[in-house]
Amino acid sequence: MTLAITIGVLVFGAVFLMLQRGLVRIILGFVMLGHAVNLMLMSAGGTFRRAQPLLGYTSADTASDPLPQAFVLTAIVIAFSITIYMLTLAATGTDDDTEDAS
Amino acid sequence: MVLLILLLVLAAAVIGTPLADRLLGRNAGWLLAAVLLALAGVVLSLAPSVLADGRSIEFTQPWMPQIGVELRLRMDGVGWLFTLLVTGVGALIMAYSTRYFPKGRRLGFYFLMTLFAFAMTGLVLADDVVLLFVFWELTTIASFYLIGLSGPSASRPAIRTFLLTAMGGLALLTAVVLMALRVGTTQLSVILADPVWSQDTAFATTVAVLVLLAAFTKSAQFPFHYWLPDAMAASTPVSAYLHAAAMVKAGIYLLMRFTPAFSDVAVWNAALITFGLITAVLGAVFALQQHDLKKLAAYSTVSQLGLLVAVIGVGTEAALVAATVHTLAHALFKAALFMMVGVIDHQVGTRDLRELGGLARRMPVSAGVTVLSVLSMAGIPPLLGFVSKENVFKGLLEAPGPEWAGALAGTAAVVASVFTFAYSFRFAHGTFWGSPRGTTDVREARTTFLAGPAVAAGAGLVLGLAVPTLNQLAERATADTAGGDHPAELTLWHGLSVDLFMSLAAIGLGAVLVWWTASGERLAGRTLFPVTGPTVFEALHEGVIRLGHRVGDLTRSDSPTRHLVVPILVLIALTVAVTVTGIDVPDHFGETTDTVDWLLVALAVVAVIGAVVTGSRMAGLVMVGIAGFTTALWLFLLGAYDVALTQLVVEILTVVIAALVLRRLPKRFHKVPRSRTVLTALVAAAAGVSAAMGAYFLTGRRDISETGQYFLDHSVEDTGGSNVVNTILVDYRAMDTLGELVVLGVAGLIIIAVLNSSGLLPSHGDRRVVVSRNSAAYDADDNTLIMRAVSYSLLPLLVIWSVYLMLRGHNDVGGGFIAGLVGGAGFALVYLAAPSAEVARIRLAYPMIIGVGILVAVFSGLLGYFDGSFLRPLHTELDLPLGDYAHITTALVFDVGVYLGVVGVILTALNQLGLDESRPGDSTLGIMAPTPDQPPASTPDQDPGNHPEDPLDVASNGGSR
Repeated sequence: MTLAITIGVLVFGAVFLMLQRGLVRIILGFVMLGHAVNLMLMSAGGTFRRAQPLLGYTSADTASDPLPQAFVLTAIVIAFSITIYMLTLAATGTDDDTEDAS
Repeated sequence: MVLLILLLVLAAAVIGTPLADRLLGRNAGWLLAAVLLALAGVVLSLAPSVLADGRSIEFTQPWMPQIGVELRLRMDGVGWLFTLLVTGVGALIMAYSTRYFPKGRRLGFYFLMTLFAFAMTGLVLADDVVLLFVFWELTTIASFYLIGLSGPSASRPAIRTFLLTAMGGLALLTAVVLMALRVGTTQLSVILADPVWSQDTAFATTVAVLVLLAAFTKSAQFPFHYWLPDAMAASTPVSAYLHAAAMVKAGIYLLMRFTPAFSDVAVWNAALITFGLITAVLGAVFALQQHDLKKLAAYSTVSQLGLLVAVIGVGTEAALVAATVHTLAHALFKAALFMMVGVIDHQVGTRDLRELGGLARRMPVSAGVTVLSVLSMAGIPPLLGFVSKENVFKGLLEAPGPEWAGALAGTAAVVASVFTFAYSFRFAHGTFWGSPRGTTDVREARTTFLAGPAVAAGAGLVLGLAVPTLNQLAERATADTAGGDHPAELTLWHGLSVDLFMSLAAIGLGAVLVWWTASGERLAGRTLFPVTGPTVFEALHEGVIRLGHRVGDLTRSDSPTRHLVVPILVLIALTVAVTVTGIDVPDHFGETTDTVDWLLVALAVVAVIGAVVTGSRMAGLVMVGIAGFTTALWLFLLGAYDVALTQLVVEILTVVIAALVLRRLPKRFHKVPRSRTVLTALVAAAAGVSAAMGAYFLTGRRDISETGQYFLDHSVEDTGGSNVVNTILVDYRAMDTLGELVVLGVAGLIIIAVLNSSGLLPSHGDRRVVVSRNSAAYDADDNTLIMRAVSYSLLPLLVIWSVYLMLRGHNDVGGGFIAGLVGGAGFALVYLAAPSAEVARIRLAYPMIIGVGILVAVFSGLLGYFDGSFLRPLHTELDLPLGDYAHITTALVFDVGVYLGVVGVILTALNQLGLDESRPGDSTLGIMAPTPDQPPASTPDQDPGNHPEDPLDVASNGGSR
């Protein structure tokens, strides 16, 4: 429930920002959407088992699902590289405006 | 085996052409001719076995056993004839090419011609439909490049030819797939013998039409006939080989090959006969109209191919005897004729009939060779063309269908032959007799130049006189196609049969036509049709492109919003649809909510509201940063320590790098109308509700995934690592991680490429903060002192810590990604603390670090081959003193690669975006800019003159120490 609400809130912010004018706001929206999607991946793994999947500390029966965690970990890094690439695009040219002057 | 050797020798010849070309220049053709001649000899030596004994040579080599596609080769009578044509005529043309081209290297030409010979041989020997298709396409590609070799003017014809024949190729591919699926094998001979063709008429008709389309485009049948004259932009040896003897015959081959399957399909017979005869008549009429000898020969080829298609369409034994012999006859006289066009063009400097005439006295041998070939083409005894054409007449009279069909087909063929006689006469007479025109300084061509055409034309005479020797070939080919034993009885004199009178009528009426049209002069150049093939093609082509534009216009907008909103709206619509219909969901599995979670919900709400309402870029960045930290906390609560740590460091780095970018942009976001804000808020709200509902109803309602449980249960035993997430990344799914590492590296390289090609946006003037000279903040060196002191001692610590994180990642929180990010954060700190961009520049070859990282990861993958597969980690236990031991694994090497890649990309972003393009010292000021307690003392844009706080002054101050 709480995770679902968080995801909803983040998606609201992400979509709002992504539909604005100017590349920087779109990038910020993209970053926020990344957070929401990563949490959704975690949510798919279930939130009822919350022990860390470090077998030195936890037993295999109580540890949370490591699979979505591995997904999310790489997703964060990839999203990061895409973000800095988009930031580069925003820093080139004459302005980060994405629309003709209206 | 001999078939494989044939192909292998040709393949070796293809590979050897660059060397031959380097050593011999244009004379490389002699060598290639020798190779092809030797192969033709081999083919001839197979005649007793294939033709006399009626055996088929077969060879099978597994190729793609998973889908049952093998390298199956098979040579029956039809295959034998076409292989002989490809190698024999190929040898003549290669020899001819050595004198056709001026001295010098001809790598492209010889390479592509040999490649074509290879492809064509493969095509006629293939006994697997997939193999057949591959070779079919290869001939198309070779033809495209060979036409294109002739320079810029040939580019459109090359493209037109390619598109058209490739379209036919697609039809063939469809047919191949349909046949393979239906019959269950890709072996051609099995497919052809399958009973499905007589049982399922609809299926047979569909495949027949597809095969027919492929053959029609390849063999230039109406309405696709125009590409052949169009392709005359190619050099003459290319035309002689591809567009007379070999490639255009691929269509004929295909039709003959599929005759056993389709000879009873009514559509097949009707289409082949009708379109074949239309093409025959049309081509012959157009040929008579040409001034250009080469175009004349091209239209003549179109016409002769039409006759062949029609006679194959009849499908009786007699018809296929005719098709076999005429294929041979046509290849000989048409290759010779094309080569003679080249000889005339070469010696006289023109091939336009209006500028030629009376050359017989100066070029007697050329005249003789030409006459021999046109006599064969016109069907005059005792040449082979006479026998073959008579047989074509005889075959066409047997056309299936109503009584009058045979008579009509025969008449049409005679009409085509009347024109054939006329244009044959026009060709020879217009060139070698009549009044001399143009240049008179013409010499006979060299013997080596004439050898090729002379042999081809001479063969037409010899085979004509000794035509019964072809009986075996014709009988075998007929048995392969029409089935059954049918005596061919090829002879020059048949007695007073109908076909003899048809031949006589063709010659007689042809003579009348020559007299009436002054050997075509009166028809030449006259427009018979309102449109020409190439213009129709170009119009269609334009139309398709325009249609594509129309479709594309729907989404052609520079505004990302237009594109982004579409998938969002679709998702919302999906949610609405699912909500309305309703779906069953199981109950939640276990307790999903903790009280402390609500704190994070509140934090997310604050961050999102802040990000949405603020108009300031920096505030927006901070708010999104807060959302990121909230996410990290969430991950922490969910037990994903590794991930939470990654998220935390990434968030810091994102903010640092974004700050570098934001200082170049206006302070505030662009203004948008209020209505738009409301609309986007509505869409966003709908999307948010959809996402929340999706997450609530569709996730967390089952136990932990089986895969996840497997990893938890087996990771220690499989990999020796107890940090399960890390073992997934570097052991179980290392290939995915390698892919992600490459994406990361490419992103880094793109940043460099983009900034090198477009340059940075200049820093935004009005955001420049210039403080008074008396202020402590004025001096960049002074005001960063503390940070520098801290960062210089922290950097080594951070680097050491990051290496430690990496080393322990297999068992504890850490790993390559996190370690790389922490190390990168260390550099970011140094960067932030530096007084100027110049000083801050970390002089490390960051693109190199990215590259080394990826190479190290790949290297660790290669180590895996010691244990059988790419990226499989190797493990060993290392005994240490004091009874301790350490677990060593190559997964650690892989993690080092990841580490380097991540550090490299962060360094790239910091250095590239932090670079100062115009004014040194800017970077410090830019980072100070958002700090509110240092109000700008003046803005340089307002007064760029000799102001005491001139920015350049500041800059030199900041950067010089």
